Amino acid sequence: MNSLPVLEVNGLMRSYGGGKSLFGKRKPVIHAINDVSFKIGEGETLGLVGESGSGKSTTGRAVLHLETPDAGSVRFRGNELTLLGPQGLKPYRRQMQMIFQDPYSALNPRMKVGRFVAEPLVVHGVEKGSALRDRVAELFKRVGLDPSFMSRYPHEFSGGQRQRINIARAISLNPAFIVADEPITALDVSIQAQIVNLFQDLQDELGLAYLFIAHDLSMVRYLCQRVAVMLRGRIVEVAPTEQIFSDPRHPYTRSLLAAIPIPDPDRRRPDRTPFDVAANIPAREAQMVEVAPGHFVLDQTTQ
Amino acid sequence: MKHFFKDLTSSKAGLFGAVLLVIIVALALLAPMLHLPDPTRGDLRARLAGPTWDGLFSPGAHPLGTDEVGRDILSRLIFGSRMTLMVACTAVVLGGIVGTILGILAGYKGGFVDKLLMRLVDIQLAIPLMLLALLIVAALGPSIQNVVLVLALTSWIRYARIIRAQVLSLREREFVQSAHAIGASTLRIMFLHILPNVMTPALVVGTLELARIIIMDAALSFLGLGVQPPTPSWGRMLADGRVYLSSAWWAVTFPGLAIVLTVLSVNLFGDWLRDYFDPKTRSAK
Repeated sequence: MNSLPVLEVNGLMRSYGGGKSLFGKRKPVIHAINDVSFKIGEGETLGLVGESGSGKSTTGRAVLHLETPDAGSVRFRGNELTLLGPQGLKPYRRQMQMIFQDPYSALNPRMKVGRFVAEPLVVHGVEKGSALRDRVAELFKRVGLDPSFMSRYPHEFSGGQRQRINIARAISLNPAFIVADEPITALDVSIQAQIVNLFQDLQDELGLAYLFIAHDLSMVRYLCQRVAVMLRGRIVEVAPTEQIFSDPRHPYTRSLLAAIPIPDPDRRRPDRTPFDVAANIPAREAQMVEVAPGHFVLDQTTQ
Repeated sequence: MKHFFKDLTSSKAGLFGAVLLVIIVALALLAPMLHLPDPTRGDLRARLAGPTWDGLFSPGAHPLGTDEVGRDILSRLIFGSRMTLMVACTAVVLGGIVGTILGILAGYKGGFVDKLLMRLVDIQLAIPLMLLALLIVAALGPSIQNVVLVLALTSWIRYARIIRAQVLSLREREFVQSAHAIGASTLRIMFLHILPNVMTPALVVGTLELARIIIMDAALSFLGLGVQPPTPSWGRMLADGRVYLSSAWWAVTFPGLAIVLTVLSVNLFGDWLRDYFDPKTRSAK
């Protein structure tokens, strides 16, 4: 973390609504993400956890400018991305990719998967003709698929295979950073481990950095070096993985950790009061405080 | 191509439609070579002669009877199909191309473009299509080009609406997002990712439209605004024959049957074509 981070996000905001409806009524503004800041080092995995609707996916998409952030800055290896137009962003799109949650809707049903995996290479004019074919075959092998599958359509594949195809597409341009938006949530438990291992192998091999969005905390613990916890569009706690599991500071983090099931039928969960989100909405002016080296918590005690 | 025929023969309805359509198109194309009686020349001695199969191959035979001025109905049907098919196909393709492109544009771009196009569609839908067609043909004069233009104009809105709705849902699909993420251009996304996924609905609308346009073309001719006499057209034949419905049933029945069979074959073939283009149903067989 001492060297230049691969990605640095500061005060990112994104809200929806606020426009006028047909008859001039104002729609309410919803802040999907509010003042989100984090850093990811080269080859590092940052886990992003939180409940549904907490803004995890929006964060991932705003970082890649699939949605234009309202405010804040996103720096890739020190280069500011927020002010670039679509053309200016194109070279950075080679470096940053996304893997989506639903492997069924992430593939174009009318495009042969070989062509789909080859598309980034074609768009960026990297390879052509037989070299392109060889490269795609190599990518198929890399993610554990038979290159003869290249001429098939997506519906002929299982969920796990589809996710492998998505991964092949995402790594085709040798990116430095990948946003993985709940990439294993839609898969069978037996397949999840295979895909997670593939993620790790690729990281070791290619030096990838991940923003790994998830709500399965045991997977996050296994895969991530650091974890950020989101609540209602704000990051409430960031810390190295072991630290957050052993010493959670924010009440929401504690409640999340307490919810991890323990596979022991004889052990009864202690009675606990459910976490009251409404009473714990992060205050607008709350600041992050460093409670231990690298461990930041949103300070809400001030009010 | 081999696969195409193999698949076609495995579908009874599709094969029936295709065969019928081939026969109709072949008859239309080969009409001048069939040694049919002149479809525009009447024979007043044989007015409203009933269908007869006697002496089928003799020069004066009228297997489907004659109309009120003694013109051979079979010959008029076959020559009439040339005009009908040409007008209908051109209008469907024209309307389809314009409607699909505008539908994709409206759905994908959203915002002002979408609002403008959809209000245009709304305005046009508020005017009865037949009235609109009548107005335009009456204003511009009843030529073939004008009829094609009018029919295409009444047609594009149907494609545009359905395609737009499809695109609205496709736009949010993750593979489109993924195309954004790799930096694909808008044009590339619209033509490589969106267009192939709206071909099925476009084709379905197309076959429905072809059927509707054949009927509408017949209606325009019926009202005297389509192809001008003495050029034969199915709608015109219906209009002229309807007066004699009680005494000479053949004068309206055969043109009516021709319209029904053509529309039916187009629909059956279209249904099969839709399944054929869907990779899901294609490999299931």
